[in-house]
Amino acid sequence: MKNNYSRLKWVALIIIGGILFFLSKTANAATTIPLPLQQQEVSGLVQDQNGLPIPGVTVSVKNTNRGTVTNLDGEYSVSAPANGILVFSYIGYKTVEIPVDNNKEISIQLDEDISALGEVQINAGYYNTTKRESTGSISKVTAEEIELQPTVNPLQALQGRVAGLEVVDQSGVPGAAPNIRIRGQNSLRNTRSDNGNLPLYIVDGVPINSSPVSSINQSISSTGTDPLNGLNISNIESIEILKDADATAIYGSRGANGVILITTKGGSFKGGKDKIEARFYSGISRVSHFVDLLDTPQYLALRRQAFENDGVEPTIANAKDLLLWDQERNTDWQEVLYGKSAPTLNANLNYSGGGENTSFSVGASYFKQGSVFPGNYSFEKKTINLNLNHQSNNQKFRLNLSVNYGINDNDIFSSNNFVRTALSLPPNAPEVYQDDGRLNWENSTWDNPFSALESEGKSNTDNLIANAGLQYHLLEGLTIKANLGYTHLDSEENILLPIEIYDPAIWNRVANRSQHSFINRKSWIAEPQLVYTGNYKKHNVDALIGATFQRNDNSQLRIIGTGYADRHLIGNLEAADAVDNSQDRDLVYKYNALFARVGYNWDHTYFLNLTGRRDGSSRFGPDNRFANFGAIGAAWIFSNDSFVSKHLPFISFGKIRGSYGITGNDQIGDYRYLDAYESTPGPGGLYPTQLTNPSFSWESNKKIEAALELGLLQDRINLNLSWYRNRSSNQLVGYSLPAITGFNTVEANLPATVQNTGVEIEFSTLNIQSEQFQWRSSLNLSIPSNKLIKFENIEETSYANTYKIGEPLNISILYEYDGIDPETGLFRVKDINQDGRFDFDDRVVSRNLGRQFYGGLNNQVNYENFSIGFLVEFVKQEGLKIYNSVPGFLGNTFQEDSNGWTTENTTAEVQKSSQSISALISYLNAYSSTYRLTDASFARLKTLSLGYNLPDKILKNVELTGVQLFLHGQNLFTVTNYKGLDPQNPGTIALPALQSITGGIQINF
Amino acid sequence: MKNKTIFRSLSVFAISLMLISCEDFVEVETPGYKLDSEAVFASDQTAQSALDGIFNQLFNTSFVNGGNQSVTFTAGLSADNFSVTTTTQEVVEFHQNQIIPTNSYNLTLWSGAYNMIYMVNAMLAGIEDNPSLSQDLKDHMEGSGKFIRGLTYFNLVNLYGDVPLLLGTGYQENALASRTSSEIVYNQILEDLENASVLLDENYLNEDRTRPNRFSVLALLARVHLFLGNWEEAEYYNSQVIGASELYEILNDPNEVFLANSREAIWQISPIGWGNSFTHTREGNLFIKNATANTPVVLSESFLNAFENSQDKRHQEWVSTFIAEEDTLHFPYKYKIQYDASSGELTEYSMVLRLAEQYLIRAEARARLGNLPGAIQDLNIIRSRAGIPSIEESQPLNSEDELLEMIILERRRELFAEWGHRWFDLNRLGKSEILANKENSNWNSSSNLFPIPSSERIKNPNLSQNPGY
Repeated sequence: MKNNYSRLKWVALIIIGGILFFLSKTANAATTIPLPLQQQEVSGLVQDQNGLPIPGVTVSVKNTNRGTVTNLDGEYSVSAPANGILVFSYIGYKTVEIPVDNNKEISIQLDEDISALGEVQINAGYYNTTKRESTGSISKVTAEEIELQPTVNPLQALQGRVAGLEVVDQSGVPGAAPNIRIRGQNSLRNTRSDNGNLPLYIVDGVPINSSPVSSINQSISSTGTDPLNGLNISNIESIEILKDADATAIYGSRGANGVILITTKGGSFKGGKDKIEARFYSGISRVSHFVDLLDTPQYLALRRQAFENDGVEPTIANAKDLLLWDQERNTDWQEVLYGKSAPTLNANLNYSGGGENTSFSVGASYFKQGSVFPGNYSFEKKTINLNLNHQSNNQKFRLNLSVNYGINDNDIFSSNNFVRTALSLPPNAPEVYQDDGRLNWENSTWDNPFSALESEGKSNTDNLIANAGLQYHLLEGLTIKANLGYTHLDSEENILLPIEIYDPAIWNRVANRSQHSFINRKSWIAEPQLVYTGNYKKHNVDALIGATFQRNDNSQLRIIGTGYADRHLIGNLEAADAVDNSQDRDLVYKYNALFARVGYNWDHTYFLNLTGRRDGSSRFGPDNRFANFGAIGAAWIFSNDSFVSKHLPFISFGKIRGSYGITGNDQIGDYRYLDAYESTPGPGGLYPTQLTNPSFSWESNKKIEAALELGLLQDRINLNLSWYRNRSSNQLVGYSLPAITGFNTVEANLPATVQNTGVEIEFSTLNIQSEQFQWRSSLNLSIPSNKLIKFENIEETSYANTYKIGEPLNISILYEYDGIDPETGLFRVKDINQDGRFDFDDRVVSRNLGRQFYGGLNNQVNYENFSIGFLVEFVKQEGLKIYNSVPGFLGNTFQEDSNGWTTENTTAEVQKSSQSISALISYLNAYSSTYRLTDASFARLKTLSLGYNLPDKILKNVELTGVQLFLHGQNLFTVTNYKGLDPQNPGTIALPALQSITGGIQINF
Repeated sequence: MKNKTIFRSLSVFAISLMLISCEDFVEVETPGYKLDSEAVFASDQTAQSALDGIFNQLFNTSFVNGGNQSVTFTAGLSADNFSVTTTTQEVVEFHQNQIIPTNSYNLTLWSGAYNMIYMVNAMLAGIEDNPSLSQDLKDHMEGSGKFIRGLTYFNLVNLYGDVPLLLGTGYQENALASRTSSEIVYNQILEDLENASVLLDENYLNEDRTRPNRFSVLALLARVHLFLGNWEEAEYYNSQVIGASELYEILNDPNEVFLANSREAIWQISPIGWGNSFTHTREGNLFIKNATANTPVVLSESFLNAFENSQDKRHQEWVSTFIAEEDTLHFPYKYKIQYDASSGELTEYSMVLRLAEQYLIRAEARARLGNLPGAIQDLNIIRSRAGIPSIEESQPLNSEDELLEMIILERRRELFAEWGHRWFDLNRLGKSEILANKENSNWNSSSNLFPIPSSERIKNPNLSQNPGY
């Protein structure tokens, strides 16, 4: 039986193979062979549609084995018969055949071959490669996929699109920094203020400090704002995600957590006539999901039940909701506190053009998103960008200048518990406003949530990213380059806190206050480089060597003003009774490196890529500043092998590649090695604030990757399969010390190793391809696994109760839930060591809260002038339930809590209603037990876009090159068992990611 | 030929890169908000700031600042002057004399003390054999530092028994230090204080009494000798303090005692260390009860009963009441300001050493030495200020024991809600078994010492635990 089955399988495979073989045969037309005539030297330049030179283009003389490859500047020279035909072919571009026709110079522009899936140009940072020839693991996302998404941060638009990239929104408040991980958590330092897991951001060659900009506005202070918020999403040409050692090692000490390269749009030489693109859309955004809570009759019944169960008489002190407040009022506080629809608006204008030697692109954009909170709050972003390309007449000298400037204005009140209040406020809580329009404090019986709206929080962030790239063609194959960059981020926040945010009953004890924060980040970078490209017979080499000089200046100033005589004056420090300067810091970070890369291939079939970097960072003590990093990557395009093309013709592209290398991590605070004093809060004093260890050093991250890339049926089906293993050791942490040393920690390298392994699958198909109808699908799937594989003496460190060896870092260590006690009706957890106490010795269950797998399914269908595209993001994970109020206590609870344990209902899932301390303790224990676990997997319709292009017939009459009408939906629909706010962040109470519908028009002149 | 040129230019480029990317580039200067420790002790002016820093930080260091993880609060809770009005488990544990080793208040108390010791040790290391500093300043800094270190170890040894005696800053060695016997710790305390008494001047540095002078050291020395049972030394040292009548006097009005720089103060801590003037003392903030303040403790019934005489001015002026529902709650009112939003001048300082305690120390020492009239004379000074009759008028005392009982009682009435005096007195006199009578008390003979915080023992395997934990 088994034999029959496997034989059947073989037969089926052979049949399928045969069909594929014939299909491919019919696709290849046979050619005849004319004879060559008189030879002459032909040279020229090969450029892309944007006028940028394309190196590596194969220029062959048709029907001969003669040919060459364009150099780094896209130039070639070949000898060919006067009546011959030159064939220009390059991966990702349409092959062009041009008759020589006695011409001595043939320069051409190649058009991108959009039907060739996955055969695209890849920006690898210091050099370019192609998807086909790359030895590293680099994913690319292009403008079309992100430009319509109404997100503030460009990286939020990548959710579900890239294998190995997790982008988790921490809050739906506009501007809040998402949590970004490439291939998992590498470092044990994972708090907002001390995070060793941030990827490196590079915008147009300029590194951007990727740590979130801290905020003193409590609505956003738990996440901070992302430094990329100032970028115009519509002006992004592509985003490349560098993942493995081969791709990241050239970034040395900053490559451990992967690299995100953002390239902004540029102009094109010889682009014909100038182009103007105008786009406008508007729509609404709102909270996608409310938690199912009790209404007033259910809530009051539960409360009364609690007092009855406890045998306690409700008093004014313990039951104001039952005795003082209206028993009939029923408010859906979620609706009131974050149920508004926020208007969203975006306008974008771009003008590009160019001549022989100069091209430009200038643009501006405006984005505004209102707030789902009551009141009139908004987030506004204005950007302006310029890109200029110039080359000298002899094309030896080339200049590229790009400037991106963004202004973010965020206006939102300051309150850290607004969302939590919406969940916990009893539904019969009092009216928000009195009849006279003033806040209602109901005789000081509640904290009116609208009091937060009396505060004001305005922040303004200006962000400039400027880059100049200069290059000069020295000699054949040799170019000298310089990359010069400057970034400047200026953030000012003013929080005004009038006494009206408090109950008038305590106004005599409080004062009008204001808080001010000024953050300034400046950096410059200079990177001289020397690039060599050469080939000899079938040997192709490109190499570069360069150096980096970088300096970051970071300053933070915080001021608190207290005691303003009048609300109107708050914020004017001159009017404050007391001004306290709570923080004034200037930090300098300097960075210096030498880097080199040698890429070699034989006949575009066998590839070897060596990268290396020697880094020095001022964050380490004088003896530990420099370290070396490097990687080796190799690839073999086996589909070039004649065996494959003969016997497996359905394999149009096949590559195996692998890489191994070491990168580092210097993401720690500045000056930690210094033995230094700081000024005391009190006047005139200095005191030591830390223990010093001058000898701590880099975290090192060893990465290994193996991958298979396949293109089938002329690349209509593409499959990329990669496996990786990253090990971060020498973990740099605040090493725990007994307090008798004076402090609790000292910065040190821990003998601990964190391992991230995983499999990533990228699968894309061109299902239908015809003139009228195209349908493409793609799927990406990541199956990560994270493990702490080594940590010496973990029991003796402060990490003993946080991490476990052999388990992921993102674990929750829990009690074992033991059901509801049939005697008391309260939750019960197991007292493992039976000592009558519940402490960490009883927490024996550890559960992985990280993602088990995640990915996205993308479809794009074009039919004549219509298009539809959608992306489903899916995540499989276990998470924690949110903690709200204990059923029976003052405070609203979940719908299912109304069906709690009673003597009749002994099979209930929730403990009995009670407002006793023992009920609280049982509930808290249960919420530290496996009871709190829940399936938090979800599938979300992340984006849905509908488009309609006006037909050319109409356009001709109005002299437009294109008009598109579109509708776009974001987070429209989520399938999940999770009952809290947003399954992205299970267990967290924060504003969930908003859903939005926008519609607009794009006009091209 | 061409290849050669390429090679040459490549190597020139590479070499020039090597040359410019040298180690110097990644040198950074010490930032503006930090001062390298060498620079701190490079001149008199900055070195003085390190000393100022210590006095500022006293107000921010838990064990010494009078807040809710201070000796005043935790040791006070452990004795019988307070009853608890909070359900906070960690507070209740102190009051019921059953502290769980993971108690975070206990850890903060302990950590704060050792942080202060680190600061002093770092300063002493910075001035030692330092030729850049003037001898006068070095003497003053050394004296002040050793005074603080002595005070800190004195409290540690009374709270925890044997404790690690650390005199240097090296964390590698300190992290593994084991406990030193309390005798050796006491010897160090005496040595530090005797040194300080020579190094410090008799006058205060300025108007403020927030910097110790020679008399502050002598006053503390007297207390240490009292605890060690060295009666002669105790009397010898504090007679000098009491004799300094140009500086010190017992103030007639109890409401003036705790004011900043009162003439009864021998050494105080200024709330200026908080950095802004929106609060006054932490004791005032912690103890004063009103409609909006949920203070964790009130005065216990047994304490209130210790005032036999309702005319006792200490009961009238240093105790205040708040009526909550039906109950009248009594709370310590030595400090009058709970919170001041007006950012006015600081009028109250946190008292550490005051003259009344010195009279009580001398009374006890004299009684022990058999000088009963001398003892009664000292005691009467305290009673007279309290507005209660002298010993002779009220109840003639016949024996040394009766007199000692009276002194202990007077110490309870005089020094309540200050620095855990009651807890230390009961322990040193072996009378702490009366704490078993407190409501919900779990007192037993091993309750006299607080537990070594469990996390300390996890991080330092050489630290043993006190019996009973």
